Amino acid sequence: MAILEEPIKESLQLRNYINGEWVESETSHYRDIINPATGKVIARLPISTEKEVNSAVAAAKDAFPEWRRTTPLSRVRCLFRLKELLEENFEELSRIQTMEHGKTIDESRGETRRGIEMVEVATGIPSLMQGSNLEDIATGIDERLVYQPLGVFTCIAPFNFPFMVPLWYLPFAVATGNTFIVKPSPRDPISQIKLAELYDEAGFPPGVINLVNGEADAVSVLLEHPDIKGVSFVGTTAIGKDVIYRKCGETGKRVIAQCGAKNFMVIMPDCNLDATIAAMMTSFYGNAGQRCLSGANAVIVGKDDAFYKKFVDAFLAAAAKIRVGYGLDETIQMGPMQSPDGKARVLGFIEKGISEGAKLVLDGRKPQINGDYPDTCFLNPTVFQEVTPEMTIAREEIFGPVANIIRADDLDDAIEMINNNRYGNAAAVFTSSGKVAREMKYRVNCGNIGINIGIVAPMAFFPFSGMKDSFFGTLHGQGRDAIRFYTESKVVIERWF
Amino acid sequence: MKSPTASSVISFVVKLEEDSATFYDELSCRWASAGETLASFSKQNRKNKSVVQRAYYGVISDALEGCFAFTDLDTEDYLIDTKLPPDESYTDSLQKAMGMEKKIIAFYIDAARPAKALLADVPRAFERIASKRNERLLKLNELIGNFTNQ
Repeated sequence: MAILEEPIKESLQLRNYINGEWVESETSHYRDIINPATGKVIARLPISTEKEVNSAVAAAKDAFPEWRRTTPLSRVRCLFRLKELLEENFEELSRIQTMEHGKTIDESRGETRRGIEMVEVATGIPSLMQGSNLEDIATGIDERLVYQPLGVFTCIAPFNFPFMVPLWYLPFAVATGNTFIVKPSPRDPISQIKLAELYDEAGFPPGVINLVNGEADAVSVLLEHPDIKGVSFVGTTAIGKDVIYRKCGETGKRVIAQCGAKNFMVIMPDCNLDATIAAMMTSFYGNAGQRCLSGANAVIVGKDDAFYKKFVDAFLAAAAKIRVGYGLDETIQMGPMQSPDGKARVLGFIEKGISEGAKLVLDGRKPQINGDYPDTCFLNPTVFQEVTPEMTIAREEIFGPVANIIRADDLDDAIEMINNNRYGNAAAVFTSSGKVAREMKYRVNCGNIGINIGIVAPMAFFPFSGMKDSFFGTLHGQGRDAIRFYTESKVVIERWF
Repeated sequence: MKSPTASSVISFVVKLEEDSATFYDELSCRWASAGETLASFSKQNRKNKSVVQRAYYGVISDALEGCFAFTDLDTEDYLIDTKLPPDESYTDSLQKAMGMEKKIIAFYIDAARPAKALLADVPRAFERIASKRNERLLKLNELIGNFTNQ
C-alpha cells in the first residue's frame, strides 16, 4: 500500500495571525517542528515575544465592540463559510495532523470531523443563545434574562489533538460575540496555522480570531493580561491545576482546565468478547495512548479464571498484531509517540511497572516498525498483568500505549478502585447487564461514563465533562456549557408607568 | 490486505468502483445494443464511490474503532479482473461482468458485517450498494437472455 502524499513538502516558516494579518515574528528564538515518524523537520515555530502576545490581545480587544454588535446571524454566517472551507480542506488538514503529530490517517480524519462538528453546533447560536422571560412577576412588571458576550478569550492548546481541541471552544466563543486568541501547542502547531488561513478566508473581521505561537512565556503573558476574560486549557493536571486554574483565580478569569486522566475499563464476564476486544484496542492504543480518554487500566471482574484467561489471551493476541508505522501509510493502526520526550516518559513508567512487580507480558520497548523509519518516537503496544491499584502504573497517567490488566473481586471492588483514583475523566464498563451498567452510571465519580464504549468522547452538543483531578473549573467545553461559559447572564426587570 | 484499516477499506472501495466503472464504459462502447444499461451501471458505480466516501468522511471519528473495524477481512479475496480481451464475445463479457458483480457484492456484505457496530453509516451504505447490485445481476442476466433468444 502506498504512502499517502504528504501535504508539507518543505519546511515551513510559521507566522502569527494578528488583527487579520500574517505577521512575521521579531523573535530570535525558534523551535523545529519534527514529523515524529520520519524525523524530518517540517516547520520552524517562532517563540513569540511578549510584545507580540500583547498585540494579539489588543487586536482582539479592539475587535470586540463591533463583533459583539454584529448580529448573531451574521456571526454564524462566518461559521457556515468556515464549515464549507473545512470540508473542502478536510484531507489536507487531516494529513497535516498526521505529519505533525504522528497519529494514523483514520485518527486524523476522525479529529478533523470532530472539529467540524463543533463548528456545526455553534452555527445554532441564534437559537442556543436565547435567554428567557416571564411576564407579570409583579403587577405590570416583566423580567427577562439575556446572555451577553464578555470580551477576549484564549485557548492554550495541547499537543495530542492539535487541530480539534481549540475547536471545542473557539466556535462557541466567537458565535456568542466574543473575540479569541489561539495559542497552539508548540509541538504541533501547523494544523492550527492552516485553520487560521481558513478563518481569514471565511471572512471573520480582523482581530476577531488571532493566533500567536509560543511556549510557556506566551501562556504567562495571556494568564496575567487584564484584558483576557477567560482561558480554556487542555493538558496535564500539574499545569492545569497549579498554574492555569490558580492564576485564573488570582486574576479573576473564567477557566476551563481539562487535565490528566487514568481511565478504567471494567470488563464483566458477560461482555461481548469480540466487540469488547476491538473497542479495547482503540481505547488503549488509539492515538498511541496519547489521549485523555484512553483506556489505561483494564479491570477484569470476578473469580472466573477461565474467563480471565480467555480475555487476556484475546487482548494480547490483538495487541501483538497491531501494525505500527507512519500514519500516512493506510495500513498502519498505530503511529509513533509525538515526541522523544513522550517516549522516554513511557519507558520510565514501564521500568517502574517492572520494578514494582507487575508482569510485563507484551513488551513494546523495542519497536517493530512497518517501513524504514527511525525508532526515535516509536513504541509497540505494551501490556502488564498482575497489576494492583496501588502500583504507580495503575495510579498515574502514562499517556502512551500501555495497558494494565487488574483483577477485581466484584463490581463493588472495581468501582472502589475507580473512585479511589485521583482522576475522574472517564470510565467504561463492558457488559450485557443493565443492572451493572446502572451501577456504573450511578456510582462512578467520573465525568464521562461509557457503557460498552471504549472512547467515551462526548459529541459537540454535550459538555465534555470531567471530575476530580481531571477537571478544574465550573462549566465545561462544548455544548450548552460552552455557551454559558462564554456569556454573562444579565437580568432585566422592567416596569413602564 | 488482512485486517485493513477503515482508510484502506475506503481506498479499496474507490478502486473497486472506479475499475468496474471503467469496465462498463468500455463494455457499453463495445456493445451498443446494451450500451444504455451498461453506461448506467458505470454512472451508478461512480455514485457508489461518492456515497461510500461521504459516509466514511461523515462518520469517521476519533472515538470510533477506525483502525480496528475490519478485523478478519482480507481485501485480497475480493480483487476483480476488469481486463476485456479484444475478441471476447458479448455473452462472455456479460458473464465476466456477473462474476465481477458477485465478487463486489460479497465484499460489501463481508465488509459490512464486522463494521456494523462500529462505523454507523458505512456498513449501511455497503449493504444498500450490495442490494442494488443484486438487482444489477438480474439485469445482466436479462441482457444475456435477450441476446440468446434473438
